[in-house]
Amino acid sequence: MADELILLSIGLPWLGALLVWLLGDRKAKFQHGIAVLFAVASAVTACLLLPNVGTSTVVSFPMETTFGEFNFVADGLGVFLAVIATVVGSLAVIFSVDYMKGAAQLGRYYAMVLFFIGAMVGLVLTSNILLMFVFWEITALCSYALISFYNDDPKAVSGGMKALIITQFGGLGLMLGALVLFAYTGSFDINVFLANPSVLPSNILGVMAFGFLIAAAAKSAQFPFQTWLPDAMEAPSPISALIHAATMVNAGVYLLARFFPAFEGVPGWRISVMVVGMLSALMAAVMALVATDLKRVLAYSTVSQLGYMVYAVGAGGVFASQFHLMSHSIFKALLFLAAGAVIHSVGTRDMRQMGGLGKKLPFVRIVFVIGALALAGIPIFNGFWSKELILEVGMHGNPIWLYVIMLIVAGLTALYTFRCVWLVFYGEERSELHVHPVGIFSKIALAPLAIGAVTTWLLAGPFSNLLAESLPTHSIHELSLMEMIREVIGTPATYIALAVVTLGLMTWVVREQISGVVKNLRFLETAAVQSFGFEAINRGIVAGVQKIAEGLRGSQTGLLNWNVFGIVAGLILVLAALLIGA
Amino acid sequence: MWHIIILIGILVCAFQAIRSERLLVAALWLAGTSALVAIMMYLLGAYQIAVIELSVGAGLVTVLFVFAINIAGEEPIPALSLIPKPLAWVSVIVAVGLLAWQILPLFDLPLGSLQGAGFEEMLWSGRKVDLYLQTALIFAGVLSMVALLSEEQTHKVSTHKEDNV
Amino acid sequence: MNLSIPVIVMAAVIGLVGIGFYCLLVTRNMIRVVVALQIIVKGAMLALLLAGRMRGQLALGQSMALTVIVADTIVAVLGLALAVQVKRRLGSLDLNDLSSLKR
Repeated sequence: MADELILLSIGLPWLGALLVWLLGDRKAKFQHGIAVLFAVASAVTACLLLPNVGTSTVVSFPMETTFGEFNFVADGLGVFLAVIATVVGSLAVIFSVDYMKGAAQLGRYYAMVLFFIGAMVGLVLTSNILLMFVFWEITALCSYALISFYNDDPKAVSGGMKALIITQFGGLGLMLGALVLFAYTGSFDINVFLANPSVLPSNILGVMAFGFLIAAAAKSAQFPFQTWLPDAMEAPSPISALIHAATMVNAGVYLLARFFPAFEGVPGWRISVMVVGMLSALMAAVMALVATDLKRVLAYSTVSQLGYMVYAVGAGGVFASQFHLMSHSIFKALLFLAAGAVIHSVGTRDMRQMGGLGKKLPFVRIVFVIGALALAGIPIFNGFWSKELILEVGMHGNPIWLYVIMLIVAGLTALYTFRCVWLVFYGEERSELHVHPVGIFSKIALAPLAIGAVTTWLLAGPFSNLLAESLPTHSIHELSLMEMIREVIGTPATYIALAVVTLGLMTWVVREQISGVVKNLRFLETAAVQSFGFEAINRGIVAGVQKIAEGLRGSQTGLLNWNVFGIVAGLILVLAALLIGA
Repeated sequence: MWHIIILIGILVCAFQAIRSERLLVAALWLAGTSALVAIMMYLLGAYQIAVIELSVGAGLVTVLFVFAINIAGEEPIPALSLIPKPLAWVSVIVAVGLLAWQILPLFDLPLGSLQGAGFEEMLWSGRKVDLYLQTALIFAGVLSMVALLSEEQTHKVSTHKEDNV
Repeated sequence: MNLSIPVIVMAAVIGLVGIGFYCLLVTRNMIRVVVALQIIVKGAMLALLLAGRMRGQLALGQSMALTVIVADTIVAVLGLALAVQVKRRLGSLDLNDLSSLKR
């Protein structure tokens, strides 16, 4: 049963992708229909996997010789992320029916989205690290193709290239880890390795651990690779919601969580992970505070929240991290889709031109505010519970200065969230914007996410059970809903956090009175707008590579004979070197 | 003894294939090279591959060559090469000489006896991934056959493009 | 040097590769490029089989060689199709005329 479900939830979106592509762009209506049908079907199959969670391999394709076995395992971590990918994926596809209405080249769009969903499911369900690498790269490819979907816009094209190149660092780290694992154990199987990580010598294990940290940081847009995510916002909004908020950027966190039992003993690894998470969370929160582009604010907040998850993994709270991942996927997908609805309605992404949109878009205001409250960590919304769990993990047995910074970031989060909501939906209108009504399919996609943002924390019990039972090496202890509520409400840390969040909120309310302080912080604003110099570093690297490439252009004669001469000369050099060596 | 005769045959055929003026003749010399290589393979004990090489390398590929040369037509080969011919000679001879000098003594061993798993078993169960790859390759080949056979419908469009360039 | 069978086969390999490379260096005709590639690949195939035989794993060498044959035939088909189309569109098989592809 479970084996068919796994293959279906990977195969259905891919089949749908093929069909949408083959259908051709003249039958746009059918394309919308088929894309929705296959996305929803894969979501259903992935949800049916939930009762079939187990630790053993369910599907196995023996590849003989070097490639090992292409195994798929339906364990808690994988199935949970597969459900997130397919459910948010199908909602994003439903949303696209309105958002992409009348757009050119729908076939390319839907085919890539469905291809991505299938690859994401494969990435989290496989236990063969080589196959994982393949799926990892497919998601990067789809992400690139969708960021650059409007390929006559140079900004979109360069954003896509940037994302592709930076995430390739991640791919390299992962491949390095896979090859090291294979070289030392002769097997690509993750679970065999996790059960007994001491098969690797400790220095090799360290190389692998930090390689995977680089991989995760690049994929999840963490420090120092965070610059690609804001530029990825040139993608259509449903893509930002699906790939750059709910699924692909989580792959890095997933990688860290998956391999946590093997790497936690590596000296310095956990603290490095925590520092990477902390730096990303802090810097992105400050940048979100000064950004004026609605989608960029959400992108920075995604980096910041992913920083929380990475920090939680480093602090040893795999469950807290995955719980926040679930909350974040839902409320951030909600925020992005709602932002997409706003942008689609008013035709601009600049928040300075918005304002007072609440009256014109009442439904979107409600769902956006729900998402924002969850992001800010206001009680009873799902973001509150998961963030509190992370902060609590961070407080026990981990450096206290990191905890304090994460607390401050929680306050900053509340501050930028309210600034964003206020600029978009409240206050007076700052410019004459023609507002289109929001379509019915958008509402269908937004409503379940809004409900989810209020309720998913109720699933804490079954969710911890799912992880605890199927991940024997992670030593996750079960936590029922009542226990979680008692734990969160019963500790003073919660009230400290709440006080900080309120403080952040108050800062926005009294922003007029404290303008003197704000003026003194102007230097910080300037630095944040320039993303603390990271953009300049990126530009420098690009310019350097371009200069080298242009210098080398002379060596490309374009004539076969001279190229072959180069090959022969190289052969002679190698042979001569061998001769001298021997 | 047989081996040396075949070695000489292979080298002569290959040399003629690159030296002959007419392409059609070159294709036939290539077929000869292929047939002799197949015999060499047979003598090495690789019976199955020898048969495949004979049918594919000497048969199918030659047919393809004759076919393509008929369509594209014999063209007088420009005698002037882009690289000075002496340079080409010297570099190839140096490379081959170094290679032969370093490698040939290493191979002065007896051939060893035939043993190990059978070819079919190795192919069908041991190298599955290769078979998938071959399937993909054959698809690519079929597509390019279509391009080879396609008539000149696209010709007019392309000349327009050429004018623009 | 005693001429054992491996030496003779290896000489054939080196000879084939050398002749093929020489042709690639001097030819300007697209179809002849395909001929040269065929010659080089035949050398490579012989080398694979020889290595398999000498290590007692002839079956492995043979299955590798089979992949090479398939790939090589596809290369020939692709190269010839390319040559035919180039001839149709540009009216020439001379590589020198094709260097407009450079930029």
